[in-house]
Amino acid sequence: MKIFSLIAWLSLSILAHGWIENFSFEEIANPPGIDPQVGAMDILADGRLAVAFHRGDVMLYDTVSKTWSPFASGLQEPLGMLADKDGSLLVMQRSELTRLRDTNGDGTADVYETVFDDFGMSGNYHEFAYGPARDPQGNLFIVLGVASNGAPIAKEIRGEFSEIGKVDREGMTLRELWKKNAGNVGRMYSRVPWRGWVLKLSPDGKKMTPYASGFRSPNGIGFDAAGRLLITDNQGDWRPTSPLYDVKQGGFYGHPASLVWTPGWDGRDPLTMPVEELDALQQPAAGYFPQGELANSPTWPVVIPKGSFPEAWTNQTLIGEMNQKNLVRVLDDTVDGVFQTALVPVFNGSPLGMGSNRLAFAKDGSLYVGKTALSWAGGKGITRIKWNGKPFLSLDKIKALPDGFVLRFSQAIDPATLSSLTVSRHTYEYHKAYGAPKKDDTKLNVSAAKLSNDGVTLTLTIGALKEKYLHVIDMAGLRTKDGEKMLGSKAWYQVVKAPK
Amino acid sequence: MARVVPLLFAAGFAHGIDMMKYVIFFSTVASSVLSAAPDGAQLFTTNCSACHILDQMIVGPSLAEIRGLYDGKREDFVKWCVAPRKKREGVIEMPSMVHIGEEGLQAVYAHIMEVAKGVKIKKQAAGDPFATSSVYAERPQVRRIFMPNASPAAIAVALDQNTSLCWDAGVCRLRYAWTGGFIDGYPYWKSNGSSVAAIVGTVKYTEEKSPFGETKNAKFLGYSMKDKLPIFSYAVGTQMVTERFAPLKESSGFQRTFTVTPTPSSALVLNFTKQDGVTITSDKGTLEGTKLTIAPADAATFTITFTLK
Repeated sequence: MKIFSLIAWLSLSILAHGWIENFSFEEIANPPGIDPQVGAMDILADGRLAVAFHRGDVMLYDTVSKTWSPFASGLQEPLGMLADKDGSLLVMQRSELTRLRDTNGDGTADVYETVFDDFGMSGNYHEFAYGPARDPQGNLFIVLGVASNGAPIAKEIRGEFSEIGKVDREGMTLRELWKKNAGNVGRMYSRVPWRGWVLKLSPDGKKMTPYASGFRSPNGIGFDAAGRLLITDNQGDWRPTSPLYDVKQGGFYGHPASLVWTPGWDGRDPLTMPVEELDALQQPAAGYFPQGELANSPTWPVVIPKGSFPEAWTNQTLIGEMNQKNLVRVLDDTVDGVFQTALVPVFNGSPLGMGSNRLAFAKDGSLYVGKTALSWAGGKGITRIKWNGKPFLSLDKIKALPDGFVLRFSQAIDPATLSSLTVSRHTYEYHKAYGAPKKDDTKLNVSAAKLSNDGVTLTLTIGALKEKYLHVIDMAGLRTKDGEKMLGSKAWYQVVKAPK
Repeated sequence: MARVVPLLFAAGFAHGIDMMKYVIFFSTVASSVLSAAPDGAQLFTTNCSACHILDQMIVGPSLAEIRGLYDGKREDFVKWCVAPRKKREGVIEMPSMVHIGEEGLQAVYAHIMEVAKGVKIKKQAAGDPFATSSVYAERPQVRRIFMPNASPAAIAVALDQNTSLCWDAGVCRLRYAWTGGFIDGYPYWKSNGSSVAAIVGTVKYTEEKSPFGETKNAKFLGYSMKDKLPIFSYAVGTQMVTERFAPLKESSGFQRTFTVTPTPSSALVLNFTKQDGVTITSDKGTLEGTKLTIAPADAATFTITFTLK
């Protein structure tokens, strides 16, 4: 176990000022002999932390005695887990949703029951499987990533092959032809069933309903405190920057490859469809993580439980991020019933580091962050983060107004620092190319900033908000009356619906 | 600031407009496009440093190597960053850096050329860092991983130090068995699944079909573990089958114990694959070559022994 020394850290980065004065960051000792890249985590009913690692081992960590014990092994790239009250674990691996049971009470799983495997696998490396998330009725939701044109498909596949596309099955398979064919299959492709789809499963996994389409590499799925099904996805083709979606049944969420599996699909190759038609079909993102600034590869959402972090954060959603050294907090807003969010960084400039893939809050209110890299940029191991109960300045709530925003802070702001605040906005072009630069990046004139007399509520007047624009509020210059900086001082608010 | 803004947080924002105390007026400037000279070092830290370090290949090539490739070719560098392709086997493709913009990429280029000047490339550490881990060396062992000559839902099983097999959950049948070791999973893990695992040893028995015949509609149900060895369960039509594998003690090979429920109404005919060096025996029924006929009364459980030369 290694606790970061305050002095050592301060000498590394002046940015560290803040988070480490309010949170401890402790690296958990990894289980010996195991590649410590974390694919899935959850807390068992008895309080232990269950962790599934990259190479398929599931280990249980006793947070009190700080010891590891094995529970299961041999799974393929587990990327999601749900601990059940009966002690069994639901784990999503590449090939199936599996229930792990210890039926003889020896502390390890002796039954690996296939709950659901009725989806295609082309053998392409990028077909990861994520979930499950569970709704109050017990239904399970999983989401399947699409294949990458970085590689062809395998000779043997599982499931039906879709002939839709410029390249036939042989061309999709042969490695020696791949250099020639890769440019004609789509940057990411879906040639076996349900790749790019959210599937809704009955509690026993026996009944499946295709739920929503249009996903690319959705490495995060979970219900928020209000019961919305949130899914994060990764920047790439058809993803100008990484989005956050509030997923509804029947929705199409932008990445066209999966459309070929729409029941009753007319057989068209989505890559030949006009962008305008696809754009009209897609549901808007409820939030955007700007690439290179907030998140390049957002991960798992979890709800912040009461008593863990500052009270105002209770029931907010926290999201991991693999490539930037921070997590992301979601500030909800609703305009005319439309859900939209502001995203703010958490633990930026702290010892957290990169690779935050899975998040789980333990019963003592501490947050366990499991990290991975999976041959991309990232990290490894598990960091335990605990708030020391000391208050600090943060943005706790934001609401769109017809001509600006109203923000609520955790502490009173020094009015003398208000003039440092800036607001800008930009949008993104929806297109087939990989990622997109900011478009129409514009600094906005803040005509007024009104602070309530207790200093915690700030009303910004910037003129009418613009739909489909990411509004960026930079609060780095704000201070409390004691001169304290704000932790997580930038907010990216995606206006889906502008209030009238 | 005469305009009254309706406060929309019913519970969250308890303070009325009339309580607003501080009002700051900002100078009125026309909205302008944001522009500042791009800082190459800063852009590099935010966008590139996670995968590229000065003198050693990590996720992507070192700055020293990039300098060797692109010195004097700034526009080629920018083009690559906007539209990168998969170039190296076993290495992931770089995502596009189009969001940085052309000017920004030129600044990143200048930064890389500057800091990598005269830097020598260090060799990359090779091989599986967990090659000697007792966790992965444990026998018996069950491991789901992409295997050669099988469906993507295959399962590798090490019965003991010598004998291993590939059972395929995608088609509910044994694919092949080998002797001499287990698998090297590192090609798979290091490439994130872009390569299949390598078989360590020699394949001695390949089963061409399920012994039950056509299993297109077979349904995989999972497996249970007994003495660290797997018992696979699957349904073929209305019949439930379990298949348990165990190593042979005295010679090279494996035992395969089937259970079939409910009891079939007629004799069960199982066809195995004839292969040189493979001897097949059964504790029940009649074996003619590789064709085994089991009477309904014996179908509840029977064991076939495969001896591999």
